[in-house]
Amino acid sequence: MTPGGGAHDGSPRGTGDVTRPQTPAGAGSTGTPARHDAGGLWEHPLGAAKDVWAVFVQGRRRDTHVYAGDVHAPDAEMALVLAKENYTRRDPCVSLWVVRADQIHATAQDAAEMFVPATDKSYRFGGSYRQQRRVLQSSYQAAYREEDQ
Amino acid sequence: MPPVPPDDPEMAARFTLRVQGGEQIEAGEWLPAEYRFEALRLINMHANSEIMGALPEREWIPRAPSLARKMALTAKVQDEVGHGMLLYRVAETLGRSRDEMIADLVAGKARFHNVFHYPAETWADVAIIQVFVDGAAMQTQGALRSCSYAPYSRVLKRICYEEDFHIQLGLDVWRSLAEGTPRQRAMLQDALRRWWTPIIHFFGMPDRVSPHTEKMLAWRIKVKSNEELRQQFLRRFVPVILEYGLEVPDPGLRWLDDEQRYVYTEPDWEELKRVGRGGGPKSAERLALRQRFHEQHAWVREAVARWLHDHAQDAVA
Amino acid sequence: MPGVLTGIADPALRAAFREVLLRVADDELVIGHRHSEWTGFGPDIESDVAMSSIAQEELGHARVFYEQIADDEGLDVDRLAFGRTPAEYRHAALLEQENDGWEYTIVRLVLYEAFETARLHLLAASGQQPVAGLAQTLTREERYHMLFAETWLTRLARGAADGPGRVQRALEAAWPDALGLFEATPADALLVAQGVTASTPSAQRAAWEETVRPTLEGCGLRLPPSTARDGGRRGVHTPSFDRLLDQMTEVWRSDPEARW
Repeated sequence: MTPGGGAHDGSPRGTGDVTRPQTPAGAGSTGTPARHDAGGLWEHPLGAAKDVWAVFVQGRRRDTHVYAGDVHAPDAEMALVLAKENYTRRDPCVSLWVVRADQIHATAQDAAEMFVPATDKSYRFGGSYRQQRRVLQSSYQAAYREEDQ
Repeated sequence: MPPVPPDDPEMAARFTLRVQGGEQIEAGEWLPAEYRFEALRLINMHANSEIMGALPEREWIPRAPSLARKMALTAKVQDEVGHGMLLYRVAETLGRSRDEMIADLVAGKARFHNVFHYPAETWADVAIIQVFVDGAAMQTQGALRSCSYAPYSRVLKRICYEEDFHIQLGLDVWRSLAEGTPRQRAMLQDALRRWWTPIIHFFGMPDRVSPHTEKMLAWRIKVKSNEELRQQFLRRFVPVILEYGLEVPDPGLRWLDDEQRYVYTEPDWEELKRVGRGGGPKSAERLALRQRFHEQHAWVREAVARWLHDHAQDAVA
Repeated sequence: MPGVLTGIADPALRAAFREVLLRVADDELVIGHRHSEWTGFGPDIESDVAMSSIAQEELGHARVFYEQIADDEGLDVDRLAFGRTPAEYRHAALLEQENDGWEYTIVRLVLYEAFETARLHLLAASGQQPVAGLAQTLTREERYHMLFAETWLTRLARGAADGPGRVQRALEAAWPDALGLFEATPADALLVAQGVTASTPSAQRAAWEETVRPTLEGCGLRLPPSTARDGGRRGVHTPSFDRLLDQMTEVWRSDPEARW
């Protein structure tokens, strides 16, 4: 469903739009780097056309809603109706959320290192020192599962 | 490639290093112009192929010879259309709108895989498409799961998961025909014969050693060579043909044990080029069909846009 | 589990219930076939996918009801679905009409889904197991079909440049055939008399009109004054069905004994 497609990711298509503010989503082929100075860009809108809706699926009643992908739709009601068959044909679902993708803000990819602790945070976990190390290691391993690579 | 200001060389070098180090790039990150162009072209063509790929098979939905086959084939083609949806969205993150890409497709300006320019003449063609054409696509799609563009990589994992079901279903139809009446077996063998060359073509000509190919491999837009993928396909699927006592349509196909590869009759690469430019047996007809429905639905698109405009309370961000 | 028909002792009642089961199965098969023809040709990719699911579900419903008959009579489900002459099918003409544009499909979906939901509720209340339980379960899927239909109907009827014109014309084309859904045969009278079906076809029709009226009028549409175009429930179909059946059974007929 694409009524008047219009602006997509804010990425200029290869011709460098100097009047457009340079966000990482728009920095593509213009060659303008993302700024890293103090207070510089660490977050940006995800960037998408107005008719793109992010879909979140709740598998069972006590689960959280998990991002499943996007649909194109003119409005929220149609987005929900379409999301059901586009995203839950093979997966259990009790509830769907949709939100306009252009309302989503994201931390920049090169801010990823901010999330990795620099010092020992084992005081956040209980138990023995050995248990703490195991928990810390396994939670970071969980974030980098082999099969996702 | 359209003329663009040159990439910042430092950023380009850093980008290549990251990718060569095994990192994947997310949507919204800085990309060298050529990377963006090549990735977009690949993914756009893949999306187009899913949408156009629905056309040969959907001809058999109304004619499927049992309720079970009717439902299964509808579901399978539905999946392909769904894959198109997922892939166009990935292509959008690289800078084109879905509207534009579909407009190009409908105008005959966009490319899609050679196999979908050929006719599906009998019910047995459905078995061949679901086993061998999907099987061929699986080789490429499977390899590209480790490509460098993360949104594409993620979508391919889902696509491969679903294609696996398609091949299982395809093998079930294949089995029914291969183990069926003499007429069914003959229909299956004939379909295999007609599809063989397009399937061998599908993987493309053996790659030329060139700076371009090297760059695509370094950037992991290409993960395996065309010939590697073709060999992978033959290793997996030639045994299926032989297991059921059917004939491989290429009399020149042989397994070289010492080299651990198949040799096969060199296909006519000119046919592949011609078909890729829209000169296949069904290219014009399928394009016309797409155009017909696109025009038929123009008022629907307009109606939805007008309704949305009039119901601005939903549209206000 | 044993089919429902085995459990009906009275032969006349059993024949009447069999006729109703066949009606449901044939309605669902034919509309499922028509919906499935949209695969690859929908107005947008997401709706194409959704419509395809609706098609599969209708075909699945058809199979459930064919199985009830097939199990009882030791028949192959596919032979029952594919192997009859046109005059032996009991679906209403509404379902066999060609997909004359997205608007016709959506209008037909609105009209048929309201009918089918009500029919499933009547079957759920029939006391005839296992059909009663099965019918109750199937209403879940019909709810989504109705939602899809209504969501689309609003946008088409309220958004079109020529006002609801095109959609109104589709409604006028579909209405007489829709009324044919309620065509009565002697089976209906018997089932009502025996307390299996809670309401007569004409009462069902009145209830159905009151269900669809707010949906249609809410979109600026007018209920057409036309009369019913009957025949389907007695096996009288249009040339559209001859073509549909020919195509649907083309491969199966090439060898009905083969395993496909």
